[in-house]
Formats: sequence, C-alpha cells, structure tokens
Amino acid sequence: MNRFDDIATWLRSSPGRVRVSGSGSRAHTLPKITDATPLHLSQYNRIERLDAGDQTCTVECGVPRAELDAALAEHELELPCLGGGTIGGLFATDPFGPAAAGCPGPRNLLLGMEALLASGSAFKSGARVVKSVAGFDVHKLFVGSTGRLFVATKLHLRLKPRPRTEQWFANRALERDQALQLIHALRQEAQPPTVLQLRRERDGSFAVGGRVTGRSVHVTSICKQHELAACERPASFHVAAAANSSEEVLNGNALPSALPSLLSALPEGAPFTWLGGGRFEAAMPHSQATDAALQQLPQANVTGTVLIGTDARRGVGTPMDPGEQRLAEGLKHALDPDGTLV
Amino acid sequence: MTSPAKSPNLERDLAQLLGRDRVLCTRDALLAWECDGFTVHKSRPRAVVLPESTAEVQAVIKLLHSANVPFVPRGAGTCLSGGPTASGNAVIIDCARMRKVIKISTEDLFAVVQPGVVNLNLTTEVTPYGLHYAPDPSSQSVCTIGGNLAENSGGPHCFKYGMTTDHVLAATIVLPDGEVVHLGSTTGPRTPHGIDVLGLFCGSEGTFGIATEITVRLCRNQQEVRTMLASFDSMSAACRSVGKIISAGLVPAALEILDQATIRAVEASIYRAGYPENAAAVLLVELDGPHEVVVEDAAEIATIFVAHDALKVEEATDPKERKRLWKGRKGAFGAMGRIDTDLYVLDGVVPRTKLEEALEKITEIGQRHRVNLTNVFHAGDGNLHPNISFDGRDKEATARTIAAGHEILQLCMDLGGSITGEHGIGTEKLDHVSMMFEPEDLEVMARVRAVFNPDDLCNPGKVLPQRNACAEVSKWPQMVAKVLDVEDTPQEPESTS
Ligand SMILES: Cc1cc2nc3c(=O)[nH]c(=O)nc-3n(C[C@H](O)[C@H](O)[C@H](O)COP(=O)(O)OP(=O)(O)OC[C@H]3O[C@@H](n4cnc5c(N)ncnc54)[C@H](O)[C@@H]3O)c2cc1C
Repeated sequence: MNRFDDIATWLRSSPGRVRVSGSGSRAHTLPKITDATPLHLSQYNRIERLDAGDQTCTVECGVPRAELDAALAEHELELPCLGGGTIGGLFATDPFGPAAAGCPGPRNLLLGMEALLASGSAFKSGARVVKSVAGFDVHKLFVGSTGRLFVATKLHLRLKPRPRTEQWFANRALERDQALQLIHALRQEAQPPTVLQLRRERDGSFAVGGRVTGRSVHVTSICKQHELAACERPASFHVAAAANSSEEVLNGNALPSALPSLLSALPEGAPFTWLGGGRFEAAMPHSQATDAALQQLPQANVTGTVLIGTDARRGVGTPMDPGEQRLAEGLKHALDPDGTLV
Repeated sequence: MTSPAKSPNLERDLAQLLGRDRVLCTRDALLAWECDGFTVHKSRPRAVVLPESTAEVQAVIKLLHSANVPFVPRGAGTCLSGGPTASGNAVIIDCARMRKVIKISTEDLFAVVQPGVVNLNLTTEVTPYGLHYAPDPSSQSVCTIGGNLAENSGGPHCFKYGMTTDHVLAATIVLPDGEVVHLGSTTGPRTPHGIDVLGLFCGSEGTFGIATEITVRLCRNQQEVRTMLASFDSMSAACRSVGKIISAGLVPAALEILDQATIRAVEASIYRAGYPENAAAVLLVELDGPHEVVVEDAAEIATIFVAHDALKVEEATDPKERKRLWKGRKGAFGAMGRIDTDLYVLDGVVPRTKLEEALEKITEIGQRHRVNLTNVFHAGDGNLHPNISFDGRDKEATARTIAAGHEILQLCMDLGGSITGEHGIGTEKLDHVSMMFEPEDLEVMARVRAVFNPDDLCNPGKVLPQRNACAEVSKWPQMVAKVLDVEDTPQEPESTS
C-alpha cells in the first residue's frame, strides 16, 4: 500500500492478525506466523521532507535505507547508524544499537513519528525538530518493537553532517588478547572510532574493525598511532552464521569489561561479533551450547537471547526483570488490545 | 482524590515509617514546597516526606496508594513548568536526601546514583577519573539527576552530546502502586528483544512513578576545550553565523546566544563577564576534542565570524578565562532578577533555519503585549528561551505575560517546532498542548500513562490536560483569553482575577 488513507482504511476493516513488513530483510529473525496477513509498507516510500539546514528529515517507513543515504549524501549529511532494509524496518528491529559507545543508535535518532493503531486510528508523537520534550515519547516504543505495538507510517529523523574525512579499517588475524587490547586502546581515545567492532571468525582468529571519522589530521593520527589497516566498508556487521545448519544466533548486550567472560562462556571458535555500543551476536553450534552459555551470561552481567533459531527457541534468553516485562505487556495491551499486530 | 478527612491518620502513619523529622506538615514548613521555578502556579502540599532509600519510597507509596492519596515526586524544585508542584492536596515525596553516588565504573563508563544527586556533584565526583556527566542544564549546580530524568533535561552541551535520554542506561522505579521495577541495565537501556520502556519513562515528568536509582553514562573529558565569544551588531548576524557553522558540518559542543537586554542585565549583576554592552547579541561557541581538531575548527569558525561582521571575537583555552566567558551565560537567569520581581522563562523550539525569523517575530509579540522580554537560548538546537520579567503582584501584567507567552509558543508551532525543548509541560503548558497534539495523540499518551499509573495518583494534573483539571490550572485559559480579547479590541486591558 502506498497511501496513508489506504493503510488506515484497511486496518479499520478488521483484517485479522497483521504482520507489518518492510523489505523483509529481517524476516528470518521474527517468528513465522502463518495466519497473519502481511502489511507491506515498502511501497509507502517517499522522503517527505529533507531540511538540510536543520539536519532533520521526515520519511515514510518504506523508504529504502540506500535511497535515503543517497539523498542525504547530496547534502553532505548522513543517518549515523548501522543497518539496511527499509527505514521503518531498521528502526522497528534496531539490529545493531549504537555502533560505538556514545554514538547514536536508532533510539537517539528518532525525533518523532506518525502512526496508526491496529484499530486504524491515527496518532503522532514527538516532533520534527531536534529537541522536544512535549508529551510522552510514545515514538521511543517503536524502536525494537518489530511492529507489534502500532504501525509507524512516517518517522522524523535527526541527521548528522557527513564527516570531513572517514577511514574504515580492519586489523585481521589477531590473537584474542591483541584484539581486546586494541579495542581498549581505541576506546581510550579522546575522539574514538564512530564504528568499532570486534569479530571472531570461524577459524578462531580475531579482527578489530571500524570507522574513524573527523578532520583528516585526526583520522590520520589515529590510524597511524594504532596501525589501523585501511579497508572498504564491510558488507555486513552481522555474525556470519552458516546457512541451513542447526546453528542458532544468540544476541544481547555486553559491556567492554565483560568481553573476556563473554568469550569464555561461548564455545571455542563460535563466530562472534561485538559492537562498541554493546550489542553482540554469536553463532552457536547447537541449542545445548546456547543454553549452557545462557546459564553463564548473568554472572558476567551480559544479557542474551536467541535471535535466530526454531520458532520454539527464538526469544529464549537470560531473564528479564519481571516488572519491566509486565510493563511491556501492559503497553502492548494498551496500544493493541486485540493483539492484531504480530 | 481523597480529602484529608478521609485519611486523618496519614501524617502519623508517614511519621511512623520515616520518623517525625522526615515528615513535614506544618504550614510554615510547607511554604518552601509551594511551587517550583514556575512561580505563577502555587499550591501547598498536604505534607512533604523525605525518604532515603528505595525501600522507604516503596513503603511511603504503598501507604499513600492504600489511602488513595495523590503524591508528587520532587528533586530540587528547579523545574520551570510546575511539574513538582503538588496539585490537589498531594503529598510531596522529596528525593533531596537520596544523594548517594552508589557506583562509578571507570572502565565501562557509567555511574549508579540515587535520584537526589545534584547534576554538577556527579561531574565533580568523577572528575578525578577524567570523566564527566554530559547533560548540563544551566541549573546544574542545584538540579538533581532524578529531576533531569523525569524532565529529559538538556543544556548547552546537548547540541553535541544529546539530552538526558541519551545518557540514561537504567533506572529502578517505584511504580504508583508500590511495585519496584528495574528498567534497562548497565549494558544498555533496551535489550535487543525488548521495547524501550526506559526511553518512554524518561521525560514522563514524574507521572509514571519515582526513580530511586539511576544508571547514567559517563563521558571522557576531552583533550582540549576552547570557548569563543563573538559579538554582533544584530541578532540576525548572530543567528546566521549559527546557521553557517551547522551547515558547514561543524559540531561544536555548545552554541549559545544572549541578546542585548540579557547582556546588559548580566553586566549590571554579580555575573558580570565583560560582555560588550553595545553588542546586539553575543554568540558563545565551545569546541572540544583532540588539540589539532580544535585548532582547525576554531580557525574555520573565526572565518565565519568575520564573514558575518562580528564586532569582536574572544577566545579562551585556559579554564579561568573560559569560566569568565561562561559566567554571563550561566548567570543570565539569575541576573534577570534585577529587572523585575518575577520571571517567566519560556521554552520553545524552532527549526534551526528559522531562528532569525522567530526572533524577529518574538520581539514584535513582546512589543505588542508591552512586556519586558529578553532572550538567551540554545541556538544550536533552535531551543529558544524568551524570558519575560514582570511583577507577579500586578494581575494585569501577569496576564499580559501569559498571553505573550502563549503567542510565542504558537509561533514556534507555526514555524514547525515544539512548545517545549526541555522544560516540559507540567501545569504551565497544559493549555498549549493542543497546539501540538490532537485529541487522538493525547488519548494514546493517556493509555500509555495508565499502564504505569492507572489510578492517576502519581503527579496528577500534569502533562495531559484533564477534564477535571484542578482549579489553579483551569484559570490559565481564562486569563489568556481575556487578555487576547482585550488586545484584539483597542481598549486598555482589564486586570484579571
Ligand atoms: C535557572 C534555571 C536554568 C535552567 N536551565 C535548564 C536547562 O538548561 N535545561 C533544562 O533542561 N532545564 C533547565 N532548567 C529546568 C530544570 O532545572 C530542569 O527541568 C531540571 O531537570 C529539574 O530538576 P529538579 O531536580 O529541580 O527537579 P524538580 O523540579 O524537583 O522536578 C522536576 C520534575 O521531575 C519529577 N521528579 C523529580 N524527581 C523525580 C524522581 N526521582 N522520579 C520521578 N520523577 C521525579 C517531578 O515530579 C517534576 O515533575 C532550568 C531551571 C532554572 C531554574
């Protein structure tokens, strides 16, 4: 559907259970629901407003990330977070969080939204400007909601100037301790990399990669000081899970100090990635290995949940605060009392 | 809401929980809690309690909940929108005694604090580790982290570093029924599979529950900090310089403007900073980062100042000189105390590209309503603070003040902005909410609030206009309407009651 009114009318027609989808790029991370009608928003895809001077824009949720990036580049602007697909899908799934500590993730870039409740009733939250504390930030609930609370139709986004200089880097074939030391050293910088990633490859070797940005004098100095090896922007920041296997992908949040314990809790050689903002993914060889790791994670102050696995396994994870869970369920019930959005 | 008669033993029961010295009930003792920084709205609470721990807050709330007595969380009371003022005979739960810094992690860069910790004290506490807490409301020497969380406060350095919501990782909350919940964790405000309940709580203006422990992100101090002060002979030139700095892709730590009336008030006060009094506006720019970056940024900004005919540019890198340049900005609100007995600090936002236009129209509105208006604002965020100095004892002047404020906020909306950038709705802006939100939007917000606060016992009468709004609040629309009516017809404005 490519018109707001059509979407609202369709929702009002009580279509039964509905699954909102963008480009479908993250569909494999969601439970399969056979009796839900898909609501495809990929045709709802206009960049409604791009105010380069104010560094904000308003986009319909179906706008592909690549298209927005191209439009922003013309104005020397960027949306400084990782992730692809449609903009709606990116914010609804928030696959990476912030790419480095102190850098923005989707929750920091979403200024406001226009949305429809499952009943088809329209509402808005937040504002188009970079700063507003008017009303409750209902739009914050969109991030990571996977479209289960309401159908966001338009997002107001905060943009950032494209850095004067950028350098992607990847130091590969490192030992574990070398890699952890490099991560530590880069985090100590006054202006650390704006993307920072630790990877363990399938062969057990470690790599540290990322993006250094800023004035060229700064970029050159950091790259030289830490002997960073230049490379192209990586095609993916996800863990390289083997297709068609019994592997599960576990993801969660871990502080830098927890990295050694987290790595010890994972099977030797399990492919792993961690972003400086705290998000990690690990490809686990089988469910028993996942369960064993999940037992150990709370002691290391790490949260983790099965992201990719069988439907029965998806969502299995370290315990969540029961109060927070009850509030999350309460919010779902308040916004979508009939459980339409799945 | 329950009347005192319906819970006659409440004060005694509260004293049993906390001890007599931490329950204030006498008329004199309650005077200091009658209002916040929005002095136009005053309302005496039924009692004030001073708990010291999560367990005590929980015990107090359970008692109040069972007696069906409304309550209001409070930090330092510096809010400028009436948020911590006790409407409807509520009990104030003051967090002033909850001021422990519980934990500091220098490796993972976070601190766990009680809500009554003063914003600046947290930075002072972590300074020895080369760290600071970034959100810095101008009230930071007084306001608390709990109040900052509830208001999603900003400050001069939020242009680069973001608002409170960008710095809060976790919070322990006592819900209005007494349940203790933990939102977020030190690893992040949201787990990958959860929704951002903490993000929603932040900025809920004390209407969702009381935060009793808050985990915030700490930032490393930068290698170099440089402050520049440029003076201009027109506000337009100052605003255009800001536009140029932003569009050039520069990201200073702060971009603040003071207009001539503010400069003069500052220079006549104890906050005197040596600002040029003949300037129509001064622009304070702070740069931080690695030395070589700051040097290049400063040179580029100096060129922008020249291109916009700056009258004078001062630059400071040593802490003493930087402090002097900031002194006038930080003391600006205090300095306005010289102008008149009361100050109405407005808080609206416009797109940064509309700053110039907004300020011209604000001046015109001020003149039309014959109010004494000064401007000091977070220019980098388009967050305006038109300040109206007035004599609150003069009802007619008060009404004109409110009417001018109303028009200024409408202007912000007409220019595509917001009715509040950092001070919140509280009671002050209940009448303005409809400028920004439709009934359907407010209905969704009400549903969301009911998940946390189903009985509306926690800070009632704030943020969302209610049909049964308390008397103090419903006076506002009448006052404004009266003044606007009178000004539409060319008569002398009447005084209002
Ligand atoms: C001179 C001056 C300058 C200012 N400058 C700025 C500025 O630059 N930026 C800015 O954003 N604001 C500014 N303010 C406004 C004000 O300082 C902020 O809103 C601040 O965050 C309020 O903190 P407080 O501790 O005083 O909270 P209070 O005023 O006591 O309370 C504010 C709100 O928070 C709620 N609350 C308090 N504690 C808790 C808690 N533990 N749990 C839940 N809710 C709670 C209260 O119910 C109330 O609704 C300024 C105010 C003044 C007077």
